Amino acid sequence: MKPGSAVRQAGIFGLLVALGAAVLFHGVAAFLGGYPAVARYGGAAWVFLLAWIITMPVLAPLLKNRT
Amino acid sequence: MAEQETHVADRTLAEIALPVRGMSCASCVATVEGALRGLNGVQEATVNLTAEKAFVTFAPDRVSLAEMERAIHDVGYEVGKEELVLQVSGMSCASCVAAIEGAVGNLPGVASAHVSLTAGTAKVTYYPGAVTPAQIKRTIRDLGYEAAEKLEGAAALDREREARQREIRRQGRWMLVAWPLALLVMLGTFQEVWILPRFVPKLLASPFLLFAITTPIVFGPGWQFFINSYRGLRHGVTDMNLLYATGIGAAYLIAVINTFWPHAGFGGPEATFFEAAALLTAFIILGRYLEALTRGRASEAIRKLMSLQPKIARVVRDGTEVEVPADEVEVDELLLVRPGEQIPVDGVVIDGYSAVDQSMLTGESMPVEKRAGDEVIGGTMNKTGAFKFRATKVGRDTALAQIIKLVEDAQASKAPIQRLADLVAGKFIFWVHVLSLTVFLFWFFLGYGMFFSPETRLMLTPYTLAEVGVFGFALLISVAVLVISCPCAVGMATPSAMMAGTGKAAEHGILFKGADAIENASKLTTIVFDKTGTLTRGEPSVTTVVPAGGWATDQVLRLAAAAEVRSEHPLGEAIVRAARAGGLAVEEPQAFDAIPGHGVEAGLDGRAILLGNRKLMRERAVNISGVVGVAESMEQDGKTVMFMAVDGRPAGLIAVADTLKEHSVEAIGILHRLGLRVAMITGDNRRTAEAIGRQVGIDRVLAEVLPQDKAMEIKGLQIRGQRVAMVGDGVNDAPALAQADVGMAIGSGTDVAKETGHVVLIKDDMRDVVTTIEVAKATMGKVRQNLFWAFFYNTVTIPVAAGLLYPWLRQVVSPEIAAFLMAISSLTVTLNTTLLKRFTPSLRRGSSGAAAAGGLAPVVTVEGGR
Repeated sequence: MKPGSAVRQAGIFGLLVALGAAVLFHGVAAFLGGYPAVARYGGAAWVFLLAWIITMPVLAPLLKNRT
Repeated sequence: MAEQETHVADRTLAEIALPVRGMSCASCVATVEGALRGLNGVQEATVNLTAEKAFVTFAPDRVSLAEMERAIHDVGYEVGKEELVLQVSGMSCASCVAAIEGAVGNLPGVASAHVSLTAGTAKVTYYPGAVTPAQIKRTIRDLGYEAAEKLEGAAALDREREARQREIRRQGRWMLVAWPLALLVMLGTFQEVWILPRFVPKLLASPFLLFAITTPIVFGPGWQFFINSYRGLRHGVTDMNLLYATGIGAAYLIAVINTFWPHAGFGGPEATFFEAAALLTAFIILGRYLEALTRGRASEAIRKLMSLQPKIARVVRDGTEVEVPADEVEVDELLLVRPGEQIPVDGVVIDGYSAVDQSMLTGESMPVEKRAGDEVIGGTMNKTGAFKFRATKVGRDTALAQIIKLVEDAQASKAPIQRLADLVAGKFIFWVHVLSLTVFLFWFFLGYGMFFSPETRLMLTPYTLAEVGVFGFALLISVAVLVISCPCAVGMATPSAMMAGTGKAAEHGILFKGADAIENASKLTTIVFDKTGTLTRGEPSVTTVVPAGGWATDQVLRLAAAAEVRSEHPLGEAIVRAARAGGLAVEEPQAFDAIPGHGVEAGLDGRAILLGNRKLMRERAVNISGVVGVAESMEQDGKTVMFMAVDGRPAGLIAVADTLKEHSVEAIGILHRLGLRVAMITGDNRRTAEAIGRQVGIDRVLAEVLPQDKAMEIKGLQIRGQRVAMVGDGVNDAPALAQADVGMAIGSGTDVAKETGHVVLIKDDMRDVVTTIEVAKATMGKVRQNLFWAFFYNTVTIPVAAGLLYPWLRQVVSPEIAAFLMAISSLTVTLNTTLLKRFTPSLRRGSSGAAAAGGLAPVVTVEGGR
């Protein structure tokens, strides 16, 4: 696997992890109740963005090392 | 730096220094290093922010320079390529063009080569760290053509400065856009506050107008952060740009939602964050602008040194005087220098006399006299007379070129303390995002419900957040954490001070070879001096003449000089030198005979002169009992005593010794006052060594030490917990110089010593050891201050931005205040580093003792001599 494809893979895995975090956030907010839709969806979007930014640099070197 | 090849484990590795443009902080370093290390074939990549260079060790058969350039470009930075235009003569047809293009194009480090037959030019694009213009020209000449650079010597010198100026101009232009618009946005936002309603039209407070003014700021000056973040993320790396982009983007997005969908729960129509997005961008651009200015100033020392490189040389070729570019002078060519001209290359004076100002290289304030046989240094200024000299070192071998390389290498190296700061700054971005997410989750699920009050205000503003919803509130704090955590100041703290420190040292004729040498020199406890050639002149001199038998001192010296004038023995030469220095005529003897191991005998004006040791006197039955007592006393002081007899009767004694250099005693005195322990190490006999030690005030004398044991002695001191500097000049000092925490090589010493030492003292002045320690301590002091301010800023502001004080103050930090604080921290570090430019060594302040005692704290108080 070339480094470029490792980064792409990290991007995809990162997106999946971030998506999972966002869904989890939305689920917890919905379960607790009392949060308006805009807060649940807006919060989920922010959590998604930060989670993706956090996971990308962790996954990329891990996948590169496996090459 | 030329490409170097090493063979490791049967694979050919090459090293290269690539200039990288566009880096602004420590996370950029991590980004570029990450991009390079991710390439197959790259074994090691180290980036220096202030030198703007990436030092890469790679396997050329597995990765090309173009791939490295692409990787750096993809993460948002540029590799500085340079263009060389050469005037090529001797080409006659298209095959010449193909030959030159092929040969030059195959040089490692050349990106492209285009030759024009009709114009007679070759345009070569190359990576300056990998190949030099001289190598390119040499390649063309090797093919049988003549190649000369097209008149752009000054332009080449200024190229680096131009690149910086471009960045300064670019950020300056963005500031001209961002600041006026951001101030308008701020006026509009606070239109109803204080006296502003009297001056600011209500129209300006319209969120739609604020949207119209803020949008060009975000998509103009602020767009660079989004682009660079995207490029970084594509390669799996996060950097400072991402902090800015998420901060600006989130503030802008909330403002747009609150403007067009005011009831969406983001704080309502009263809580548009346009001023946050606008001022945030403006402050970040200001920070970038200041950083560009600082980097330019920090590398001033190199530019000053480079500007000393002479452009033109006057060479005698075929008996005719011709002017040629200085870099085309060849070894052994004869050169002429007139009064007021710069000496173009290193050489030895053949004919003529002059005084040369060497202050630019050695810091010596007085011009140095030069006559036939003396060495001259390229780059220094000829003052009074004209002379002819033979070139001994040219191009990259000249002393000036070596000095520039040493300073460049030192500035490119990383001190241990800097590696720690880089590591912190590199990991910081990741943890800041983790913290930002944690803070968001806390305020979303817990904090808002527990602590939120409608009286909530933005810190330092009258702006209330009564209507802000849970998401808007948690997001605001999360964004403030992102922006306020920017570790720009941490990244700049060490390299900026190190660059200023090495530059300051170079101004005083002290060359640190690496940042670690500065750090180590600031912690020294013991200084060990080599004796011969370091504390002493390294050649015997006549110290005392004692006449006997009714002879006068001058007569004794005159006859002794006549007896020794044909001798090649160092002691004889010392006597002749002393006689000449005393204005005595040295006559040729009518008869001369050297008696190996004993002395000489000569005949002058019918007198028989005998000069030598006791044994010679005894063998010739000369009664020296009257002077033996004086001789023994002088021998106790480490002097070599020669007895002289004339016509078989004692005429006097001449004592010869290796004398101390002019400033040795003063230097040792200051080192003692600094609380340092001073030792001397020598292979000489104990009696002579102790005599010198007494004269100079040494704490501990290590005598009769074999060259190979000198390093062991240093190691012994280190094992006992001392941090040791070794000062030496000879080949035999090299192992000790290498073993010491700091090896200081004397500039007049051997090449081996200079290559081994961690510091080169250009002047032959031992007081520079004191200056070295002072500069190192001042630099490390500045590094510690910078790191303190940088970490203090983050330590204090991050908890505040995260809302730690909110339950009591009911105030949160707005993103623009966070950006302002971030810019202030960078500015503090920048200004603090600038103060190092004012540093003057105590010796230059004219009161060495007082300054040493008062201006510097003792390094450490050590116990008395053993």
